[in-house]
Amino acid sequence: MGVSIRGWRKTLIIALFILPTILGVTLLSLYPIGYNIFISLTNRSRFYMQAPANIWECVPKTPRFYCWNEPLLGNYIELFGPLLEGAALLAWLRFGLLFLPLIITNWLVSRTKKQSLSPPDTWWWWLVSMAASVAMWYVADVQGALNVLMRANDFFVVMFRTCLYVAACIPLFFIVGLIIALILNNDEIKNKGAWRTLLIFPWAVPSYITALIWQFFFRTEQGLFNQVLRSVGVANPPAWLQVDVWAFAAVVIINLWLSYPFFMTIILGALQSIPADQYEAADVDGATWWQKLKNITLPLLRPAVMPAIVLSSISTFQMFNTVYLVTDGGPIRGAGQPGATEFVMIYGYKTLLRGDRYADAGAFAMVIFILLFAATLFSLRMTRITKGAYE
Amino acid sequence: MKTLSPPVKILFYAILVLAAIIAIYPIWFVALAAIRPGQRLLTLNLVSMFIPAEITWDNFNMLMFEKPFFTWLKNSLFVAGLTTIFCVSLATTGAFAFSRFSFKGRESVLVLLLAIQAFPGVLALIPIMQILRSLGLFGSHWGLILAYATGTLVFTTWNLKGYFDTIPIDLEEAAMIDGAGPIQAFIQIALPLARPALAVTALFGFLAGWNEFIMAEVMLVGKEAMYTLPVALNKLAGDRTVPWGLFASGALLISVPTLIVFLSLQQYLESGLTMGGVKG
Repeated sequence: MGVSIRGWRKTLIIALFILPTILGVTLLSLYPIGYNIFISLTNRSRFYMQAPANIWECVPKTPRFYCWNEPLLGNYIELFGPLLEGAALLAWLRFGLLFLPLIITNWLVSRTKKQSLSPPDTWWWWLVSMAASVAMWYVADVQGALNVLMRANDFFVVMFRTCLYVAACIPLFFIVGLIIALILNNDEIKNKGAWRTLLIFPWAVPSYITALIWQFFFRTEQGLFNQVLRSVGVANPPAWLQVDVWAFAAVVIINLWLSYPFFMTIILGALQSIPADQYEAADVDGATWWQKLKNITLPLLRPAVMPAIVLSSISTFQMFNTVYLVTDGGPIRGAGQPGATEFVMIYGYKTLLRGDRYADAGAFAMVIFILLFAATLFSLRMTRITKGAYE
Repeated sequence: MKTLSPPVKILFYAILVLAAIIAIYPIWFVALAAIRPGQRLLTLNLVSMFIPAEITWDNFNMLMFEKPFFTWLKNSLFVAGLTTIFCVSLATTGAFAFSRFSFKGRESVLVLLLAIQAFPGVLALIPIMQILRSLGLFGSHWGLILAYATGTLVFTTWNLKGYFDTIPIDLEEAAMIDGAGPIQAFIQIALPLARPALAVTALFGFLAGWNEFIMAEVMLVGKEAMYTLPVALNKLAGDRTVPWGLFASGALLISVPTLIVFLSLQQYLESGLTMGGVKG
């Protein structure tokens, strides 16, 4: 602002405006993080439950009292150790090979785009590289590599499944949100306000209620889906929540239902800020619908949609309520193994916290936190770069 | 713009109708269960999963007059209302300062706020309880309000800050040249202009207070007179034989306020969220 205020008055006013926020955040957000770091360095668990009188003078392995872990980073080593041993390292390499064709293609495409003024169509390059990736799946036995890593420890299993879940959800959110927003942005559609109101319902109703309700739709015997499927002649509809793949699909469908209104809203807002003359000029040039979408709409949506995608990815990664209410992390294959929809938060809560493995839970939370923190910073940089396109 | 050809138009309307049916159906399903006699959520009669066969208001009657429904409602309104007020007042002042004043460490504090968002919430429950206990707020509504308001603060501060950034500073400068102080400029000039983002902030604050039940359940355990509606509802669903009809009528009653708030703020939602630029 820099107008008439200076010196201690300025400091005072800034403090007045900011301190409440900082205080609240420090108290209820920073303290839990600090506490988690501390607990992750101890051996707190079912057998060492109580706080020692003085943590600096505690004796390790005193019954009932927790103390510093030996070694101090033991809980972290437990998480990562098995993933960094011989066979596992090789498996990582094989897993990485899966992405090699895509990385090479990306590099080639960006190079040719830089070098020539009229870049050739590159979509078929991507098709070829995807085919190469699929071939690589078999050549490098990626399935086998994944199995090696999954056997190494639970951490990899739940992380992998959670990433898969995010990768399945986010494109669906975006595509469904985009389709509906594009239709609602068309001038020839009547009663737009009414349609928008109806379509925003899933966002407006408390999600823990609707998640609980959706769970009933997926029941094997009496569930709505299977009753409908049976009435149209499908004799043996899937036992949705008892089969790994179907349970996974069910939580994706439910999350899609819950989340598309957010994307629809963001995209509608952004669509309305795209000037109409852009499309008029394209019409004069005889551009097709697809060309307009690809060359005008999508690039101009980017600045508004990217943050939504990042935010939504993080919250999908941390999804707890919905999945917990619908599948409870199951179906479970065997005792001591994470269930098919046991994503990171469910695992942290069910297996670690409820199993009284507090120190393990602390280390687990810190690793997730650091990963998401890095992802946030990275995406922040990306959105800063694209921000210019808006003005 | 070219006009749509009839088949495309039909396709568009078909998609809208289908999407709207899917969007509404789960809520319709709850409404059906609430007005159906008995306590069942599912029936094997497929038709009655879509159209009510018999209508009864027993479930609503039972919930409102045999359970302490109005006490729960009062608790929920208190918690959600104060969460909204705290959230809006803390977020606006903070966001305004981050947007308008330049001071040392501003960027890093903003990034730090965003990073905090990345901490897995469920796993922070235990330390949050600890803090509230040492503040003497454990088991009280004030503890919940404090936790909810600070929980939504990061998102709303960022969103509001982004919105303030899009409002030209000239107006405030003009006011300050005319002798207004920074606080006056904030209240009289910036706040009215930021109405859409304020609406979004209020909405998020309200939803946080109205919908949360995991923390509330732990904090208010055994104190039935202090339950908020989601806790009470969740207790119903946790019973051995769940009275689903009762549950459904409660779910419907809880949803009405959020629907009203949402639909009345809808006009601000698009600009309030999109203009903020970074919705972190």
